[in-house]
Amino acid sequence: MRWLAAFVALAAAAFFLGDYHNDVYRKMLLWVMLALGYNFLFGICGQIAFSHFAFYGIGAYSAVILLFQLNVPLPLAILLGVAVCVVVALAVAIPSTRLEGFYLALATLALAQLFVVVLNEGGAVTGGTGGIANYRLPPIFGFQLRGPWYTAVIVFVLLMTLWILIKLDRSWFGRACRAVRDNPEAAAAMGIDVARTKVIAFTVTSALAGVAGMTYAFVDNTVNPPIFGLDNAFLLLFMVIVGGSGRHAGAAIGAVLLFLLPFWLSPLVGHHHVLVFGVLMLAAILLQPKGLIGLWDRYSR
Amino acid sequence: MGPILEVRGLSKRFGGLTAVAGLDFEVRPGEILGMIGPNGAGKSTTFNLIAGTYAADGGEVTFGGEPLLGLAPHAIAARGVMRTFQHNRPFAGMSVIENVMVGAHTRFKTGLISVLTGNAAREEAEERKKAESLIEFVGLQGLRDADVTTLSFGQGRLLEIARALAGEPRLVLLDEPAAGLTPDELERIASVIRGIAARGIAVLLIEHDMHFLLPLAHRVVVLNFGAKIADGEPAAVRADPAVMDAYLGSHAAAR
Amino acid sequence: MRDFLELAVSATASGCVYGLIALAYLLMIRPTGIINFAVGEWAMVAAFGGYVFLTKYELHYLLGMGIVLAFMLVVGWVSERIAVRPLVEKGTAILAPILALLGVLVITREIISISFPPDPLPVPYPFELQHQKYFIIGVTAVVFLGFWAFFEKTLWGKSFEAVALNRRAAALMGINLSRVTAFSFAGGAAVAGLGGLLVSPNISAHYLMGVPLAIQGFTALVIGGVGRVEGALIGGLLLAFAEQLTIRYAPIPSGFAQGVPLLFLMIFLIVRPTGLLRARA
Repeated sequence: MRWLAAFVALAAAAFFLGDYHNDVYRKMLLWVMLALGYNFLFGICGQIAFSHFAFYGIGAYSAVILLFQLNVPLPLAILLGVAVCVVVALAVAIPSTRLEGFYLALATLALAQLFVVVLNEGGAVTGGTGGIANYRLPPIFGFQLRGPWYTAVIVFVLLMTLWILIKLDRSWFGRACRAVRDNPEAAAAMGIDVARTKVIAFTVTSALAGVAGMTYAFVDNTVNPPIFGLDNAFLLLFMVIVGGSGRHAGAAIGAVLLFLLPFWLSPLVGHHHVLVFGVLMLAAILLQPKGLIGLWDRYSR
Repeated sequence: MGPILEVRGLSKRFGGLTAVAGLDFEVRPGEILGMIGPNGAGKSTTFNLIAGTYAADGGEVTFGGEPLLGLAPHAIAARGVMRTFQHNRPFAGMSVIENVMVGAHTRFKTGLISVLTGNAAREEAEERKKAESLIEFVGLQGLRDADVTTLSFGQGRLLEIARALAGEPRLVLLDEPAAGLTPDELERIASVIRGIAARGIAVLLIEHDMHFLLPLAHRVVVLNFGAKIADGEPAAVRADPAVMDAYLGSHAAAR
Repeated sequence: MRDFLELAVSATASGCVYGLIALAYLLMIRPTGIINFAVGEWAMVAAFGGYVFLTKYELHYLLGMGIVLAFMLVVGWVSERIAVRPLVEKGTAILAPILALLGVLVITREIISISFPPDPLPVPYPFELQHQKYFIIGVTAVVFLGFWAFFEKTLWGKSFEAVALNRRAAALMGINLSRVTAFSFAGGAAVAGLGGLLVSPNISAHYLMGVPLAIQGFTALVIGGVGRVEGALIGGLLLAFAEQLTIRYAPIPSGFAQGVPLLFLMIFLIVRPTGLLRARA
């Protein structure tokens, strides 16, 4: 069916790209993965959070620490990594979602900054400001996944993430999330436990970000603090808004566009592509809140 | 049949102001109970106390033999008490049928794991069918996939009711359902409300429009300054001098 | 003892800066409900303004300060015009202007980053180094007294409160909502700018100084509560004291000190989100 075709197409592409382009492609896929999860939390459930990259980092660092410092076997490391993300997510979400509106955003803002501080000060465990490097994915059933084969793994994880999110979206849970987004008081009157819905949405999407992080750990074979900070969290928000929040396709388009934009723009604006992002984001909110996917819908009619 | 909702000694104060003082009344299954009274009489407060939006300062509310006070609104809905809002509150990001299906939230039994493994499809299809029949029942057929922001005010009102019914409640609380409707829409909504009662569901509605309410309700409760001043059949209440004094005034006396 | 006094003065001065940023947030949140994280970037802009007018052009301190603050009033007003007013008029949810202001945050930071060299730039002290702290405390006290008097005593201040309590009612009473909003943003920018200007001699003007200040200011606001002007200052002082005491006396590595405001923020959000002070009834 379509999923298989998508997998084959996306994975096969990796085999035709050179090393450099493969690297870019993988990173793009990871951003799409993050954007999809973030879109579910923000666009579908209406919760603002800045911790998505922190969970990406928790997943990445957990995988590396469990595998190479604690010598845990790979399958267990994956499970434990996810478990850590779930526990942290619950610890943040459960108290915050009792409160209104913006409190989750603020708590996650603090969490994101705190996470970077912990990484920087983590000494031997986290490798401090330099992070951890020089490790490799252990062979799976004797096979060393490398190059385009690892890209295929990333494609698989991406499609799995998308599948989970679509299934949730099209169920009573997805409707409950939208109801909480659109009108929390009416949602409660319909029998929806608003706080619980928010906690579940936050925990699931944060765990998915953690899984993406574990996948990321073996892309550059290095993890260090700056990647997991607030700047990227803002960028993720911008991607989802510019692409079209609330729609999976929108999140994917936003991620691809804003990821590739710096490559195209660098001859013009050098490192200051963030300025363009800010402008695009502002333009999206002021002029086209439905994002690029909204424009697409309008013109394809 | 015994009452499904019993309210005893219900009271609520806001700072120094007593909004509801020792209110007693009951609603039976299949009965349409109208609650009327001048502005500030405590009707909305009572409504919100039963629905769980406000916390009561005293008294008891019993629904189907179980206490309702102190429960959160979503728990009250799960017990079978659904409500509409005075100013339509549709979920703007979803279509008409999806809005109705949100109302059925408490009817869904499959857990999230089943959702992920694909075992929820049958329940989803069943609930969708029920939602479609509710859309027909309130008269919104043809608007099933419409964007709720395109609905007229009257259509939005009908959606509120369909959504509340989706929860398969035993009691519906209708907050001024007639406000702002055209005569045609009033007729339609009155027949919908009669249809609800005919299904054995108890109906408690707040209303200001006497022309609409008095022919519709089986019984009427009149509030003034947070207390009940009359309770009985519409004709009797209409003729009650205390009521006329407090509320209906010379307008009704002249008729 | 002297050690502690020194720490107390230092913490008070820090607390004043946090309090100013918190006040900036408060000025904008009260009438509109909008949380404007760009206050940190505004502080940064003012710091760079300080560099330009005081270091580069070597103007007299008060004159330079005056120009920078006037400029900040304009910046605040323009930000409101671009990112807030069109959305409020369209009737969008509060989320939209908050997000738009995040866009403004990023744009502001990048513009500064493009316009100036990347290394931290010096901003001069108005007096000698050891008196800087007293200057900060003095200026902050004046500003807070001024705002307290404004809200308590003047008609304009009261109309501000009216809008904060009930927008629709205030509009019905004839209060010009968009003018109140414009003033609150202009004022917020000026106050945040003042904070940036006062703190920058210590830490130099750098384009990354905005976000930490925004977080510290916000934490101060959460601690003190949004209801009263004094709350912003009290929150700032409490935060600064907690920070400095932890750094000095707690047996943890100094890098973790950055985590103190964050931990405080999370704790307060979870335990007492409405802050320590209640709003006036």
